[in-house]
Amino acid sequence: MAAADVAYAPPMKSGKPGYEGGVLEPQHRIRITLSSRNVKNLEKVCGDLVTGAKGKKLRLKGPVRIPTKVLHITTRKSPCGEGTNTWDRFEMRIHKRVIDLVSTPDVVKQITSITIEPGVEVEVTISDA
Amino acid sequence: MGGRGGGRKPRNFATFRLFPRAGAADPNDRVFVRVDNNEYTVPGFADEDSFDPSLSDPTADAGHLHSASGPLPEHVRREILELGLPDDGYNYLSHLRELRPSAAAAASSFVPSSTARPEPLPLDVKAYDASRVRVGPTEVELDEGRTMCKVAAKTAPVRRIEKAVDPDVARLLDESDVSHAGSEDEGLEEDFVIVANRAEGEESEEEEEDEEVEDGNGVFSDVEEEFDFEDDPKPRERRLLDEQFDLLALEEYGDSDEDDKGVKDGEYELPSEVIDELKLFHSQNICVDEEYRTPADFVRRKLESSTTDEVDESVHVIKKCAEYAEKYLNETAEEEEVVLVSESSDESEVWDCETIVSTFSNLDNHPGKIETPGIPKRRLPRVFPGETATINDIIKLHGKERLPVEYLPQRKRGGEKEKKVKPAEATIGDKFKKGAEKETKEEKKARKAAVKEEKREARKAKKELKGLYKSETQKAQKVAAVTGPSSIRLM
Repeated sequence: MAAADVAYAPPMKSGKPGYEGGVLEPQHRIRITLSSRNVKNLEKVCGDLVTGAKGKKLRLKGPVRIPTKVLHITTRKSPCGEGTNTWDRFEMRIHKRVIDLVSTPDVVKQITSITIEPGVEVEVTISDA
Repeated sequence: MGGRGGGRKPRNFATFRLFPRAGAADPNDRVFVRVDNNEYTVPGFADEDSFDPSLSDPTADAGHLHSASGPLPEHVRREILELGLPDDGYNYLSHLRELRPSAAAAASSFVPSSTARPEPLPLDVKAYDASRVRVGPTEVELDEGRTMCKVAAKTAPVRRIEKAVDPDVARLLDESDVSHAGSEDEGLEEDFVIVANRAEGEESEEEEEDEEVEDGNGVFSDVEEEFDFEDDPKPRERRLLDEQFDLLALEEYGDSDEDDKGVKDGEYELPSEVIDELKLFHSQNICVDEEYRTPADFVRRKLESSTTDEVDESVHVIKKCAEYAEKYLNETAEEEEVVLVSESSDESEVWDCETIVSTFSNLDNHPGKIETPGIPKRRLPRVFPGETATINDIIKLHGKERLPVEYLPQRKRGGEKEKKVKPAEATIGDKFKKGAEKETKEEKKARKAAVKEEKREARKAKKELKGLYKSETQKAQKVAAVTGPSSIRLM
């Protein structure tokens, strides 16, 4: 009964201001995946997102650090076959962080629009709570 | 294998990725774009038409989605014209981007940096820090020399030039921009100095200008003004410079009692002789007339002058110069003296064997270990057809090590060689007898084979020798590395 629900405020964990019994908008489980080649920027964006989410009092699962992937390319230095066989070892490091939240999509939109850093790729996966 | 078909987890999630907006100059202007194909909708996310490049007015008419062909709709044309773009049937609005106040609005606004360097001065301007110069009340006698020295002493060169942002000055500058050609009461006239000079007796004007000028300028303008006032017409057309010089000379160099003052800041005392000389010159007023006079003119007495002494001297000087020139010419015409220097060493006037030997150096002479020659002709020399006389006198040095090959200890190979040599010799002898009429194929072959054999044996001997003397070559290489040119390679 909707009326009953509204009248009787269920004893829920109310850490959020403006919580009026029923949820205004359906909360979703949101997973933000940040990946970058640059650790510094990535950590900065991570930190900003976390502080933003904490400010909005969202349930947050802290930045989970996925092991960095190192992509190797090993090539001969020489353009021809002549000379001592010297090899170049190139690598590209990809760092990945995952942040889980429970909130409404537009809040997430707000948060992600603030923190902008070049080189950091942001992917947001929204699922049912 | 295929068991997973039915029991698959329901994929009810949506994945969005932040992409920079298409056609956006700012890379921070990003939007969420869906990247998966699941049937799950998130109403509040990425609803905008982010990939629509044409930001023209939504041409609601269905048929005008692509307005490349046909005339543009009126409102589109109007908008294009409003923007100032030509009305030639092309939809320029598709190239426009709407300026949205992005979230990074703060980043796009201008923030003046605190570490910015102001414009450097142009090359012909130099900045000095004159903050330590004390501008006292105008002294009774203000002479340029002293003031300049004092100012120069107190000023310091400035490396970093900062624009002085004095609020009063800034305000004045701003004001001056606004009211430029306006009232004559405010601000300075451009020729205020001249105006002031014309009205010489009016002291009130002077004071006004002094005050105004002292706001920003400093010492120099005061000095300039004062000197401008001194520009009275004098009987003999004395220049400003003369006046200043007189003052300077009288004040600074007139008092020779003050010799032991030592060096003041910026002022220095000249020795008394110099001062006297200067006084001499000071008394002579060199008039700069319009005509330019040379000493030659004086010689020919073309022009009269008051300074006859000077003239005589100059004439004398010219004569002397001519004399000197002649002397110089005569000197060079003479022959140069030849100076003989004899080298005489005390000891070795008489040459003896030891001296002779010691004057030889190893660069020219290669003393090998000379043994008793033994049998000189152990190895018969190769006789070429053309050769008649065999040269036996000279010890020939062969190879890199420059060794007398014929006289070195020979091994068994010597016997073989002799054997080989003989038949070759025989054939050669035959040839000689026949007079080189016919060299049959076999003979030719035999000869060539013999030559080959010899060469082979020679190579073997060389290699052996090399091995024998390797230690010697190593030593020689060491020496050559230090002394000789780097191209020498003995090993």
